Amino acid sequence: MSMEESERSYPQGELSGGGARMRGELSSASILAMVEMEIRRLMHDPSEIVARAVQPILWIVVFGVVMARRVLLGVEDYRSFIAPGVVFQSATFISLAYGIMMVFERESGILKRLLSTPTPRSSIVIGRALAGSIRASTQYVLVILSAFLVGAHFKTNAPLLIGGYLTVIYVCMGFTALSILIASLMKTRERFMGIIGAITMPLFFASNALYPISIMPTAIKIVALVNPLTYAVDMLRGMLLGLQANYMLDLISITAFNMLVIASSIKLLDRIIE
Amino acid sequence: MFAIEARDLVKVYSGNVVALNGVDLRVEEGASHAILGPNGAGKTTFIRIITTQIKPTSGSAKVFGYDVTSQAASVRRLIGYVPQEMSLWTDLTGYENMLIYSKIYGLEPGSRRKVIEELLELMELTDASRRLVKTYSGGMIRRLEIAIALMSRPRLLILDEPTIGLDPRARMMVWEKLLAYKKESNTTIFFATHYMDEADRYADRVTLIDKGKIVAEGAPRELKASLGSDKVIIKVQGNTNEARAYLLDNGYSVETNGNGELIVAAKNPAHVLPRVIEGLYSRGVAVLEARAVEATLDDVFIKLTGRRISEDEHGRVREVLSTRRAIRRGS
Repeated sequence: MSMEESERSYPQGELSGGGARMRGELSSASILAMVEMEIRRLMHDPSEIVARAVQPILWIVVFGVVMARRVLLGVEDYRSFIAPGVVFQSATFISLAYGIMMVFERESGILKRLLSTPTPRSSIVIGRALAGSIRASTQYVLVILSAFLVGAHFKTNAPLLIGGYLTVIYVCMGFTALSILIASLMKTRERFMGIIGAITMPLFFASNALYPISIMPTAIKIVALVNPLTYAVDMLRGMLLGLQANYMLDLISITAFNMLVIASSIKLLDRIIE
Repeated sequence: MFAIEARDLVKVYSGNVVALNGVDLRVEEGASHAILGPNGAGKTTFIRIITTQIKPTSGSAKVFGYDVTSQAASVRRLIGYVPQEMSLWTDLTGYENMLIYSKIYGLEPGSRRKVIEELLELMELTDASRRLVKTYSGGMIRRLEIAIALMSRPRLLILDEPTIGLDPRARMMVWEKLLAYKKESNTTIFFATHYMDEADRYADRVTLIDKGKIVAEGAPRELKASLGSDKVIIKVQGNTNEARAYLLDNGYSVETNGNGELIVAAKNPAHVLPRVIEGLYSRGVAVLEARAVEATLDDVFIKLTGRRISEDEHGRVREVLSTRRAIRRGS
């Protein structure tokens, strides 16, 4: 045992018989290390999170409050209705912007070094996707809290609230991986920001975040139905407001999206440094 | 077994840019081996292939017998690598950077702290370790990066331009630390540099590379002895013609440099110097300045390629420094 331990702490040479297990441990250890890196970074400088929370809070306290009085969307409590949508709008913004970090790390030597460590490519992508989604998930707390303060009503059920938080993390992993994928393909800050700018708002508007799918014109309805954000919002809305939601379909759609983007992102990661 | 063994390595980037054009290179285990050449010669490309970041177009490369393409995972377990660009998270402290990388390298939790503290001590960074890396000087950043590369006790340490952009004192300190570690651990060190004095002083063997091809290889002393030439440089009062005539008459080969100085090739410049001065005085030529200059690797490179190694060094260094500043600011 002690022999094996000393080998593990200093990977000196030959691959031992326990290679596969070592690799497994190394993968999860490095995924967690990247999450830890992100959390430490957040603690040193939480200003991004706070700055990013301003816009969604305005959506709720201005847009939500005004719209609640003016328009009938077939929704009873509009402030509560849009809160889960605005959580995801804000969180996916952060997730989708996360790739800029990879562009930056491409220009510095961080990615070069990471790619030369024993950490598998898959752990780098999964680790960073999880790290980015944890950064993004802070919006859940800030937006739900501010919605609550302006009179939105949520199920105050701890398991559901925690479930909602985990949903946000899970969904944002996919969007962060998508951002890493775009970073690998675009490579420069300008091109990356261009693409991200082009997709974030449409993603938000062509979903059920602000209005129910039932009132959309057919063309937008189709877009909304292939938009993973729709399923994410449906799921969170169901949990927080106690509305009818198709959890199974939501979970399958989100999982399919996540697997697709994470796998593509792993496959194309090497391109980022070419 | 060789620490690095490359055979006929070719790398062509998209757009038909040939970065490596058939490189054969062997690095002995336990050596300190430099690859020296001007910017764009292919040094970084070679290192990126050896560190498994990119694949060669053709040819093969092995690290301690493991193929860098087909056995990349095994290669990665054996190497420590410091890229040319900064590889730290500047919005974390020095200690946090080491901690995160120690987990990424898979160090045993029980020994992490000890390993980190020892290396911080070795690199004289203990006091600074709780500060954000943003506040570090260039030399401190480099030493921290080296400390991180050493955490996994690599058998081969690969450094790409380890001291680019550092002032002479910081450069010396980086090398002092590296050599101290090497002496203790017998790690093989392979480094790319365009500073000829760095290769000369700190490498047992030097490979000279130009335009993706290796132009010479050997111990610095051998290279200088066989291809470089020691010389005497003299500045005389007034016209150089008289002095030139005297030197040529006495069988010396003479050239003039841009400053109007005479360059006299000499096998043993310290002995030749007084004789030349005396001879010139006897001809009535007043010598204003004279010095003996030993051959440099730059001379060797000029002889082989017709160009200097460090032609646009200042531009390059400025670029690196401003990138570094931008990185520190912008993180």
